[in-house]
Amino acid sequence: MELSEFVQEGLQYLADSGYFNDKAFAVMIEVAFRSLLLSSSDDTVLDNNELKHIEQTVVKHCHSAVTTCILECVKQNADRSTICTCLEDIRFDPERIDTFCSLYQKHKKDLENVLSSIGRGLPHINDASWRLEYQIKNSHLHKVNQPSYLITLSTENSGSRSAEEVNFSCNMEQLQDLVGKMKDAAKSLEKATQL
Amino acid sequence: MLLVLSDEHKEHLGFLPEVDSAVVGEFGRIAVEFLRKGSNPKIYEGAASKSSSASLICIKLFMYHIIFMPVQTCLALTGKLNVTAEIVQHGVEGLMYLLSESSKLMISEVDFQDSVLVLGFSEELNKLLLQLYLENRKEIRLILSELAPSMPHYHNLEWRLDAQLASRALRQQVKPVLNLKLQLDDNGTRRTHLLQTDPATLLHLIQELERALAEVKTNHCRRILRNIK
Repeated sequence: MELSEFVQEGLQYLADSGYFNDKAFAVMIEVAFRSLLLSSSDDTVLDNNELKHIEQTVVKHCHSAVTTCILECVKQNADRSTICTCLEDIRFDPERIDTFCSLYQKHKKDLENVLSSIGRGLPHINDASWRLEYQIKNSHLHKVNQPSYLITLSTENSGSRSAEEVNFSCNMEQLQDLVGKMKDAAKSLEKATQL
Repeated sequence: MLLVLSDEHKEHLGFLPEVDSAVVGEFGRIAVEFLRKGSNPKIYEGAASKSSSASLICIKLFMYHIIFMPVQTCLALTGKLNVTAEIVQHGVEGLMYLLSESSKLMISEVDFQDSVLVLGFSEELNKLLLQLYLENRKEIRLILSELAPSMPHYHNLEWRLDAQLASRALRQQVKPVLNLKLQLDDNGTRRTHLLQTDPATLLHLIQELERALAEVKTNHCRRILRNIK
């Protein structure tokens, strides 16, 4: 697992008991995990009593180093031995390594979910609304007398971007065709999960 | 419901009793063809210069060889019907209007016969017109329905089941993704929408749309469909 110089420097500060005593270290690690998992950004995340006595630039440097390290571990799906080797190289104490690893194990699943939701893709369908109407007549044709559906598929793209809608109309046969095809897809999905 | 014909319209159709019923039949066919494909003024000229005996053959020739046979050649083959192209045009247009209005309103046989009675045509001509109407009204209604305002219409759905294995942000994933290609027809132009969804949403969509389909079979909808005819 490769970490940049900036990150390694930051972690070296963290390993040094002169800068971070045990309590400060534990707080720092907790704060790092929390800032990754909270859905809203919190400007006061580094405003902690235990960290007040340490030089603020060092605190910031360490915070960004730890968060980068955590994300890199989750991204590569690193196992415990890889992390231990990595941290030992930066001269972490065994207890500090333990603290880090236990918190990592605890939050790994949630972090994976966050990372998997980042990325580009096709517009993602969230929901479908429908409207059933009966066409009686129009300006060109009287006595139409046909039921028809108006379907709206709401989609969103990459989470943050605006939700768009795909609107279309169809008659009964076409809707049955559409639903039939979706059911085929669902059936093949079921088969795939049983493989 | 009776069809009300304007005086101008009656005048245009007044040309029809003066010709053979076979010719009227052919004019009827031309009228339907024009409704299908749009009118072509050359045919009027050709038809105006036909002799009554050779008219049938020439009209057929004209319709099928219009691109290949110039007007002059056709004129040379025939005598005169003694009418101008304009009168023929009015006659055919009158027929077109009669047929399209009747199809639009979907009037019954009896109503059609009563409406045509006003023109004072012979029994044979009336029967001919009725037959023309009944044979072609379904197709004419289909053509008219294309003029009505319409929304993008469903055409086809293709799907593909994929598993996302990795992304820039996260390696070593197994995330099932369903890619969909939805083809819609909008007044002739085809638009393709590429969309995706996940298995849970797919099941939700199926459930929702099945609910929509079931709605037509409820008593409420059945009653309305039955009673508005």
